[in-house]
Amino acid sequence: MAQRPPITNCVKALRESHGQMSQAALAEMIGVTRQTVIAIEQGRYSPSLESAFRIARAFNVGVEDVFGWEEETRA
Amino acid sequence: MSFREKTAWGMGLILILAGAWYFAKVVSVSQALGHTSPPELSFFIGYVILVVIASITVNVMLAAASGKEANAPADEREKAILDKAGHWSGYLLALGAFAGLWHYGWLGDGNLLFHVIFGALMLSQIAEYAFQIFLYRRGV
Repeated sequence: MAQRPPITNCVKALRESHGQMSQAALAEMIGVTRQTVIAIEQGRYSPSLESAFRIARAFNVGVEDVFGWEEETRA
Repeated sequence: MSFREKTAWGMGLILILAGAWYFAKVVSVSQALGHTSPPELSFFIGYVILVVIASITVNVMLAAASGKEANAPADEREKAILDKAGHWSGYLLALGAFAGLWHYGWLGDGNLLFHVIFGALMLSQIAEYAFQIFLYRRGV
């Protein structure tokens, strides 16, 4: 129950590298609440495929540049 | 804390207090009668009025304090939380309903059946808000 999903992301790093974009601004861009952006950054929530693409497009990168599988990062 | 989590806290507390008020009345009448009190319409109406007025008051206050967040529809994570919490609380309601029927089968007390089912309905609603808070904090 409420297990941490094995999906990693670098949303926080991308946000900070894009002019210190705020969580609220990113949330507005992808159509979710700020709490959901926080949950994604903390790895407590894996976004839908649509939101994953919206996040990637917000930073002009590919989805695979934002999200990864935990095994890949361990290797 | 998001608007919906604050709402869950508010509604949970309202339902706990209203439920405690209702069952305190039922227990005191049952003790006076020496058996399970029959369903009392005035208690039921009092409970509903208490919950409706308190819910409107709390939700208006929270919405006023939360600004435009209160008008925003639930996003994908919030919808998943609401769905899961509703699903889990449904099991609690079913459990209460079976407990009521089981008691009725043994004791044949229709009044008790009413109170157990109504109590299960209250508990499942409270549990739904508790599950929502848990999922908001722990992740879905």
